[in-house]
Amino acid sequence: MMIDKNKPSAGNWWKWFDPRGRDVGTWAYILNRLTALGLTFYLFLHLIVLGQLAFTPDNYFQFLTFLHTPVVIFGEWLVIIAGIYHGLNGIRIGLTSFGIAVPSQKALFWVVFVVSAIGSLYFGLKMFGVM
Amino acid sequence: MISSKSTPKPGEGSNAWLIKILTGLLVILILGIHFIVNHITGGLNGLMTYNEIVSYYARNPIIPIMEGLFVTVVVTHSLLGLRSVLLDLKLSRKTLSTVNWLFLLGGAAFIIYGIGLIVVIVIRGLQV
Repeated sequence: MMIDKNKPSAGNWWKWFDPRGRDVGTWAYILNRLTALGLTFYLFLHLIVLGQLAFTPDNYFQFLTFLHTPVVIFGEWLVIIAGIYHGLNGIRIGLTSFGIAVPSQKALFWVVFVVSAIGSLYFGLKMFGVM
Repeated sequence: MISSKSTPKPGEGSNAWLIKILTGLLVILILGIHFIVNHITGGLNGLMTYNEIVSYYARNPIIPIMEGLFVTVVVTHSLLGLRSVLLDLKLSRKTLSTVNWLFLLGGAAFIIYGIGLIVVIVIRGLQV
């Protein structure tokens, strides 16, 4: 039986994340999914952690100390990478949803990808103290 | 997908789809304003003390209003997006109904929690 890799179901949900033999549109889709799931996880974690800050200055000071650890800085960088890509790709999807630039969406994806890569590199260099 | 115009998925509902798109664009807009207000023209340049941050919130009402709006749109967008992901799993009507209620109640709880936190920070700022 022929399986359409672009139409996942409960039985083959993991195929969402299998980039082999896909076209550029599916790569855009996979990246959008991964960044969306990552950002959603971060959002709820962030809200819970911020809740600790609202109560005492001591909690706030401990949180600041925690923020300066390399693991957290790396995690924040991943959030920034996901945020840049998801935001820019979201604009692309928003435009095409309203019928704008539909024929150019493949080219727009590459613009999104390159700008995201440059932005991620810039923030990475800033955050790790290279710049 | 890349070859055609983006449209709602089966079962997504055109209203939910439209809200997902619009809240996504609003998240980008508010995040941009947030960075300009807090980190470029505002007072939050670098990490500050607890008292400085809470009083900054209390002295500038636009900040808590903007943060409250941000929590509302970002939670709405993320849960509608997550629902859209789950729709690909071809859930049964009953399961989807449960998911809808869980997301609606969970989302409302998180928005209330987030706005509550902002109110607590403003109250702390008024006491400094």
